[in-house]
Amino acid sequence: MNRLNKLFASKNNNLLSIYFTAGYPALNTTIDIAEALEKSGADFLEIGFPYSDPVADGPTIQHSSEVALENGMSLKVLFEELAELRSRVSIPILLMGYFNPIAQYGVERFCKKAAEVGVDGIIVPDLPIYEYEKMYSSYFIDNGLSNIFLVTPQTSEERIRKIDELSNSFIYLLSSSTITGYNLKLSDSVEEYYKRITAMKLKNPTIIGFGITDSRSFAKACNYANGAIIGSKFVKLLGEEGYMDKIDGFVKGIRP
Amino acid sequence: MKIKVCGLKHPENINAVAALQPDYIGFILYGKSPRYMANLATDALQTIPASIQKTGVFVNESSENIDRLVTEYGFNAVQLHGDESPEFCAAFKGRVTVIKAFGINEDFDFEQLKDYANNVDLFLFDTKTKEYGGSGKTFDWAILDQYKLDIPFFLSGGVGLENIKEVKNITHSQFYGVDLNSRFENEPGLKNIEKLKEAFKIIKNKTQQMKYGVNEQGYYGDFGGAYIPEMLYPNVEELREQYLNIINDDDFKAEFDDLLKNYVGRPSPLYHAKRYSEKYGANIFFKREDLNHTGSHKINNAIGQILLAKRLGKKRIIAETGAGQHGVATATVCALMNIECVVYMGEIDMVRQAPNVARMKMLGAKVVPATSGSKTLKDATNEALRDWIGNPVDTHYIIGSVVGPYPYPDIVARFQSIISQETKAQLLEQTGKELPQYVMACVGGGSNAMGMFYHFIDDEAVKLVAVEAAGKGVNSGESAATTALGDEGVLHGSRTILMQTEDGQVVEPYSISAGLDYPGIGPQHAHLFKTGRGQYVSITDEEALQAGLLCCQLEGIIPAIETAHALAQLEKMKFEANDNVVICISGRGDKDLDTYINYFGY
Ligand SMILES: Cc1ncc(COP(=O)(O)O)c(C=O)c1O
Repeated sequence: MNRLNKLFASKNNNLLSIYFTAGYPALNTTIDIAEALEKSGADFLEIGFPYSDPVADGPTIQHSSEVALENGMSLKVLFEELAELRSRVSIPILLMGYFNPIAQYGVERFCKKAAEVGVDGIIVPDLPIYEYEKMYSSYFIDNGLSNIFLVTPQTSEERIRKIDELSNSFIYLLSSSTITGYNLKLSDSVEEYYKRITAMKLKNPTIIGFGITDSRSFAKACNYANGAIIGSKFVKLLGEEGYMDKIDGFVKGIRP
Repeated sequence: MKIKVCGLKHPENINAVAALQPDYIGFILYGKSPRYMANLATDALQTIPASIQKTGVFVNESSENIDRLVTEYGFNAVQLHGDESPEFCAAFKGRVTVIKAFGINEDFDFEQLKDYANNVDLFLFDTKTKEYGGSGKTFDWAILDQYKLDIPFFLSGGVGLENIKEVKNITHSQFYGVDLNSRFENEPGLKNIEKLKEAFKIIKNKTQQMKYGVNEQGYYGDFGGAYIPEMLYPNVEELREQYLNIINDDDFKAEFDDLLKNYVGRPSPLYHAKRYSEKYGANIFFKREDLNHTGSHKINNAIGQILLAKRLGKKRIIAETGAGQHGVATATVCALMNIECVVYMGEIDMVRQAPNVARMKMLGAKVVPATSGSKTLKDATNEALRDWIGNPVDTHYIIGSVVGPYPYPDIVARFQSIISQETKAQLLEQTGKELPQYVMACVGGGSNAMGMFYHFIDDEAVKLVAVEAAGKGVNSGESAATTALGDEGVLHGSRTILMQTEDGQVVEPYSISAGLDYPGIGPQHAHLFKTGRGQYVSITDEEALQAGLLCCQLEGIIPAIETAHALAQLEKMKFEANDNVVICISGRGDKDLDTYINYFGY
């Protein structure tokens, strides 16, 4: 049982997760930001590692990735920074990024290293189920890492069942088929989709991501899922002057 | 898929069928069959090439008689079509290929085959009738799912041109081949060669591509697949499920062929370039894709995909473009079909290919600049993918080259394969030989090259030469020579070879030609490169510009700078005097006049 499973076993609603890009706005800030987020009450974190061609991301996270790469961030550098992760941060940590940097680092080596520094789960939006199952799942499982899959309103019921079977911590629900950085849409059809998912009685908890920006959208998402993730809105904050001092207010503003 | 033609009895007909090169020919030695070959002389089968398995078909015959007939006619295989026991079959195993036939109906018990498993080489599943086959009727092929042994099987019974496509869709792992018989006859025992030819064409179209072609999972060897975020999965899955049915449909083909002929102006000429031939000491042929409507090969794919999009019920088209040729082709077909069109183009490319931007706008398309990353083709592709994520239901993405997640590389290759299909026929007409010694083309993503290679890929005697852009030189740091500089990885949804850093970040390529300025190549090219089937080389900006000028002056043709890269490679080749060499003139140079003018100072 990794930290994620323990978290979900002890708490199953209003979970708040925050995403940020490692290396943005500067190198050697990853642990400081993570620590501040934990202190402010975030339940778990997603640390993004940058990629030159982030097709699932909107302008905000694209920009943070570009800056992070210019700053010299890479998987090698990130793992060096994360060496002291577990002496300072105790909430569950996920790494999120695209497949090509992982493939170049070596999938097995990546999983080993992630487990070694105390990471609990991985989100790779462009690693499909077929390839995961056929080639890589053993590396994740052997290292105690949860692989997180995404589900959109267009994902078929059959495929959601399959994803539920392959998952062992939570399922990442997208409010609509969208890239990151756009506001949550709560039309009737989105409500229907959440209800459809709830009715499926999945074995894994669900967390809603993409488009959560404030306490209102967070609360709404929590009506339908065990929690929600904030990404672009927080990354924007990191682009501001004095961002370290604003983290606490930001988190408490989302979940008063 | 193997092909067996069964039930022959006339000598000329046997020779005509053998000329089609099936894998097996069957002769029926059962007196009650209308296809009984009793009157054939024992030496009548000697003219059949050794590559074809001569198969004697018996029904409850004595083993002495079978032995005698095998020796007299020289059969390589026996097909036992009656109630022969496992022991009876075992007596022939090792001496000839033993095929045990069974009549199948919905009650058939596949368990009984277990006893045969060690005693035969192949099974043949036929429709159950009183007459031991030849009924012309099919059985319900879904029942084959119940067959779980690891002995391969032939499918027989009622296979005709009407249902051959369904046969091709059978995915059973032990499905070995198809038995063609009564539905390909003028009368029992006399085969209709034209019908057989048609069936062979349909069957081989898929299997011919096996070695270098795509498998069920979308892979070409180690390359391909669909590395896409979940948001794109439904879009890509819809295409994957439908594309083959749609493009193999007769209505689709008729509309595609009609537009290629009457709108695009196909077939494009195969021109014997006399002065080039003299200069390079071989017979050089130009495949003139530059003469297509809109000025390049890109229109072939755009026409195919807009017809596909229409049949998928899509209301909006998006595309990426580098040189603008694919954008213009897409804008053109959208105007033709009255469908909304949005083209993403790198901000830098919009400047260096300004005339094409204006063209797209005149054609009614919206051109959106890609301002992220290197602001060229790869970033335009990212933007198109992002658009598609946000518009999963009503939008079709017309990708412009043999890149992207499966099934795109296969879709684009099929639509471009018209290039080599025509070339084969034209070469036969002009030189008396279908196969040249070399085919050559430039490679950006690789669509004109794949179109030029497609029907030659399995003829290993034909050398495939792919020319990439070296930019200012392979080692200058400003290059787009992917195979020379790249490593295996994932780009735009497929595992391929791409230019990247050690950390897996995509490297910004450089070439003077916007159409070749791409850091990857299509997955099938990666496979041809890795297996050594294709030769991948590169040409610098300067070599290409000089070659472009030479083509103007020797042949009166102003080629696109992309194409000029392929032409420049001629300088580096060593040909024999009789070699036939086909080079794909992928596009015309109108769009590049500014670049030529600036360089040569005209
Ligand atoms: C004339 C011409 N040739 C070649 C290419 C390269 O594309 P591909 O490699 O897909 O044929 C382009 C691309 O824009 C082009 O316009």
